[in-house]
Amino acid sequence: MAAIPDSETTETQAYLPDFCAAGTVFVVVLIAELVAILLTLAAYDTPGMFLIELARTSLFIVWLAVLGSVVMCLFRDRLESAGKTRAFVLSFIVLEVLCVGLAEIAFQITSVYGESVIIQDSHSRYLLRTFAISSIVIALAMRYLYISSEWRRSIVLEAQARISALQALIRPHFLFNSMNTIASLTRTDPRQAEEAVEDLSDLLRANLGGSGARTSIKEELEVAAIYQRIEKLRLGDRLNVRWNVADLPMRALIPSLTIQPLLENAIYHGIELLPDGGEVTVTGVRDGKYIDITMANPVATDRERTTGGNKMALANIRQRFELAYGARATVDVEIDGTNYSVRLRFPYEQSQA
Amino acid sequence: MKVLIVDDEKPARDRLRQLVDDFDVHEVVGEAANGEQAIALATSLKPDVVLLDIRMPGIDGIETAHHLNAMAVPPAVVFTTAYDEYAIDAFEARAIGYVLKPVRHERLERALEHAARITGKALNALTAETPLKSRRQHVCARVGDELRLIPIGAISYFNADQKYVCVHHEKGEDLIDDSLKALEDEFADDFVRIHRGALVAIAEIARLDKSADGKTRVVLRETGDDESDELTISRRHLANVRRRLKGR
Repeated sequence: MAAIPDSETTETQAYLPDFCAAGTVFVVVLIAELVAILLTLAAYDTPGMFLIELARTSLFIVWLAVLGSVVMCLFRDRLESAGKTRAFVLSFIVLEVLCVGLAEIAFQITSVYGESVIIQDSHSRYLLRTFAISSIVIALAMRYLYISSEWRRSIVLEAQARISALQALIRPHFLFNSMNTIASLTRTDPRQAEEAVEDLSDLLRANLGGSGARTSIKEELEVAAIYQRIEKLRLGDRLNVRWNVADLPMRALIPSLTIQPLLENAIYHGIELLPDGGEVTVTGVRDGKYIDITMANPVATDRERTTGGNKMALANIRQRFELAYGARATVDVEIDGTNYSVRLRFPYEQSQA
Repeated sequence: MKVLIVDDEKPARDRLRQLVDDFDVHEVVGEAANGEQAIALATSLKPDVVLLDIRMPGIDGIETAHHLNAMAVPPAVVFTTAYDEYAIDAFEARAIGYVLKPVRHERLERALEHAARITGKALNALTAETPLKSRRQHVCARVGDELRLIPIGAISYFNADQKYVCVHHEKGEDLIDDSLKALEDEFADDFVRIHRGALVAIAEIARLDKSADGKTRVVLRETGDDESDELTISRRHLANVRRRLKGR
């Protein structure tokens, strides 16, 4: 049950490619050369001068590409820490300044040393043209990098979610306690033992079904109800759950295995540690285009409860919500004295079936 | 042997009772649903063995075991646990009796046999070594044959009285076996040492009082002014006490 190492989380946060890596520099130079060929082809009008034109354009562009890579390599960490959108805007500005600066240097050099007139344009028109061309190319390149980083990020996120879903599967504590309960019931109440085995099997099946998919709220509530039945055998009167969910649209979709793990948390960290037990309240409402589900439970104040499992289940739900809804869903935790609550808010989407 | 079963879950208690009943040589003398009950029943029923669940609300199994050790003749303790990496580590290292849930017939039989062979004294030493997961919520005083649990929140101060430590709390005073040093380490967050022999609950301090002879004394919220020397702050500890009071 190791926690997810930090390196993986930082990996998902990296949206700029590593310009210090040889592979990236190669791709950058390659793109630069292609752009040079493109520009030369478009402007080429003196027969026999193609290679010379290309060489001249390449000299400028490849220089720019290499310098740009060096700058990005040096400032990557600082740019990354500025946040995603700002990182791209800042990179764009930095590269653009570099480009225009280099163009200016090239202009000065040719005007001083140029034996034949290499740049036929006026100074300002030349800079403007360079600026326009480079803006388009850099913007396109940025867009490409952005999309591919998003794509990589979503792959990593998905893999992480899968792994932690496996880890967040039913707690061993719960499994062994349930087995112990069943062992006890086989003698005292075989009928109930039979039901418990059936319930436990259904629950395991739901867990093994994976958490990638979305399911209807109806099914999700059923899984949670089965879980509650098993825990009730063990905890008896100490466990009460109040379901205020009549207002929820039962066909709405929810990432599967969301409510049951939250209920498990509420019991493991809350109810189980209260000598007289308590009541878990699940409140679900539809709020326009959103669905709002809150799970609240009392907690014991005299013990500090910050065990790994809790964070794991929550982190897992957060990840899956982010994957499914991006910024449109929120998972909030509120601790108010002896009351702990988790609030899920996500877009209302209906199943097609 | 006389067995006391302690578990907050009824089916778990039933299961243990079934298993113990299967052995003709052992007898269940009682069942407790939490640590407090366990301590009360242990002192009245005098079991030879206590089957003790670790994860319980209120006083958990580990703390209960520590308190049981304060009895004149402490019972042997066999912990029962479903899945508790910490506990398993701790006990494997020290070979204190434990059984995993779901409890196996043979495993329980062995644990009980093993418990029968351990003398009270050896057990005392073993459990004393088992570190507590967190600080205790009570200290335990032995009054005649009974164990009295004193919630930490009700204590105003401890003072060392030759061999024993005296706990001054809401309902009076009691002697306990813990050393002042151990108490200071365990409850460092809430208590402050005011002189070599006294540890005062920071929350209970109303103010510091400087008397005519230049000594500074602690005035407690509850008892107010008492003229005994017990609460005079030694010069060595004065600065620290002031600092702790500021920080609260």
